[in-house]
Amino acid sequence: MIAKKASRFLIAALTIEWALAGGSSRAQEKLPAAETVLDQYVEVTGGREAYKKIHTQITIATMEFVGKGIKATLTSYKAIPHNSYNVAEMQGIGKIEQGTSGDIAWERSPLQGPRVKSGEERASALRDAALNAEWRELFKKAEMEGVENVGSRPCYKILLTPAEGSPETRYYDTKTHLLVKVNKVVKSQMGEIPAEVTLSDYRDAGGILVPHRVLQKGLGQEFLITIEKIEQNPEIPASRFDLPADVKALLEKSGAGGN
Amino acid sequence: MAAAQDRAAAVFHSEPQSRNLRSFDYIWTTIRDKHWDPKLGGLDWQSVRDELRPRVEKTATPAEARPILQEMIGRLHQSHFGVVPSDIYQDIQEPSGQIAPEDEGWTGLDVRVIGGKALVTSVDAGAPAYIRGVRPGWQLLKIDHAPVESLLEKVNTAYWNSTMRGLLLARAVLSKLNGRVGTQARIEFLDGAGKIVETDIARTRPSGIQSRFGYLPACYVRMESRRLGGNIGYIGFNFFLAPAAVMKKFEEAVKSCRQCPGIIIDLRGNPGGIGAMAIGMAGWFINQPNQQLGAMYTRDATLHFIVNPRLETYGGPLAILVDDCSASTSEVFAQGMRDLGRARIFGIKTAGAALPSVFERLPNGDGFQYAIANYLSKGGKTLEGAGVVPDEEVKLSRAALLEGRDPVLEAALRWIQAQSTQNGSGR
Repeated sequence: MIAKKASRFLIAALTIEWALAGGSSRAQEKLPAAETVLDQYVEVTGGREAYKKIHTQITIATMEFVGKGIKATLTSYKAIPHNSYNVAEMQGIGKIEQGTSGDIAWERSPLQGPRVKSGEERASALRDAALNAEWRELFKKAEMEGVENVGSRPCYKILLTPAEGSPETRYYDTKTHLLVKVNKVVKSQMGEIPAEVTLSDYRDAGGILVPHRVLQKGLGQEFLITIEKIEQNPEIPASRFDLPADVKALLEKSGAGGN
Repeated sequence: MAAAQDRAAAVFHSEPQSRNLRSFDYIWTTIRDKHWDPKLGGLDWQSVRDELRPRVEKTATPAEARPILQEMIGRLHQSHFGVVPSDIYQDIQEPSGQIAPEDEGWTGLDVRVIGGKALVTSVDAGAPAYIRGVRPGWQLLKIDHAPVESLLEKVNTAYWNSTMRGLLLARAVLSKLNGRVGTQARIEFLDGAGKIVETDIARTRPSGIQSRFGYLPACYVRMESRRLGGNIGYIGFNFFLAPAAVMKKFEEAVKSCRQCPGIIIDLRGNPGGIGAMAIGMAGWFINQPNQQLGAMYTRDATLHFIVNPRLETYGGPLAILVDDCSASTSEVFAQGMRDLGRARIFGIKTAGAALPSVFERLPNGDGFQYAIANYLSKGGKTLEGAGVVPDEEVKLSRAALLEGRDPVLEAALRWIQAQSTQNGSGR
């Protein structure tokens, strides 16, 4: 029994998050403030101005379940503030779509048909979809937790707490300032799934350094996402983010309406 | 020369012992690292190792080591953890492991072991076996000159107390029937008139949609939807796989049956597949949100099988047919739908193999089966090692099969007709 739980993982992992830090440089026992570390990440990956120039984004990637022989192609469309449409074509499953439009987060697949996300799962989807957002818009708190090795690399360990949902722990290389690992709880309709995401192979994508290799581990499985191409500011018609008719119908049935 | 011979002898004797020890360590480590309960219910697993490993060191053959390996696993007191002898491991594995997917062939026969006899339960129309005149109810006596009875005896002995016995017996027979496309199976039958019929049946490409999912063997998915007497809907499929095609056809079948007095879903012989398909199918019959078929407990998380109600659901009587070859996702669907008060189940007890359990070959050649999660139905019932017990137990028999009857389907039809009469709906 497989697959459904994976879809949420892979779309989330496609998200190339970035964090714009505030200005505080208050030290905590010789450690930099969490805000400083987040700010350094923004700087080394392109700088605040470079991020602010991004209004739309298309990412094309491949994904494989390591050791299982299951592969997928992934395409992600995003537009500010947090509109998204992600589609995974998975061998043996078919097309799994997820999207956010306005404040609505949805999913449809051959397995379960259409559904509208709610609660923390919805909040998490909207956060993942945010393009060009300050970290303060996504998380209400950032805390420095110390230095911990990821492999042999010393990393700053930062705890980020969103307004809604569970905190996640990020590890930033103390030398390169790049984000190398995230521990988080993926919210899905089926439950909370602890996941570890390792990010590497940073490359330039339209003036911003982006990890092109994302390995996500959870439930004893590994999903490797390899980014093939990232287009910054491509033309994306607004209709790309329209709700599918069956999702709209579900919303109307529930009395929530659609847009 | 003598010293060299001694050395060779020592190597010869130590090699099986080493393989037994590696098998012991593999099982011990796998359970330690992969069991859904890291505390193993409070069992002191290290002590189990310390106690039993020295005994394996003294063994010279897999047969000597096996009871000790079984004893180690037995300390868990859980089903679906076990060691099977290498020859039986081979018998219950499909031959497809050695055959490229495009070369996998079948005879068109489906088989169940009923009353200790391997009986044909269906013959695919158009398949060579059908053309040869083989019909449901015929008993298989020999396959490629090997008596079926001794094959069944071996599996029966190894699995005498397992709920999976029926499934593994059928699988053992089918693994002998199936083989490379273009080859022939020489089969000796006892036909409907009690006459022995020996015939060669060509193995051809199976009918249905070939489904590939990762490194799993190719499966051929066959789905049927039709109307029975009284406009009752029937949907049957042999795997929860090929979702793009199967879910679409399932949707069409349910939508076209909105006015039917009842729907029958036939999961007999369906060993499962993609669990999320069960949830998606349930959504056509459950109209309340936040209902679940059950939950799977892994080491890292609890996964709830939450049903998403479809836009328009079917509210009429729903019958689900199962047998001892219905397993995994089939069991989750059947038990979950019953727990939600949405279905009545007909047939015989299912395989009790609901979990993602894995068969692996050990270094000493034996097979090792272990489960990596626990599953509880909505009603809190453990399916693993227990199976789904039907509301109405109905058995197939050789006599009924020879008459072209299906007593399980007949019972479901009677129940739906009675519901329809009681409700006066006629839908």
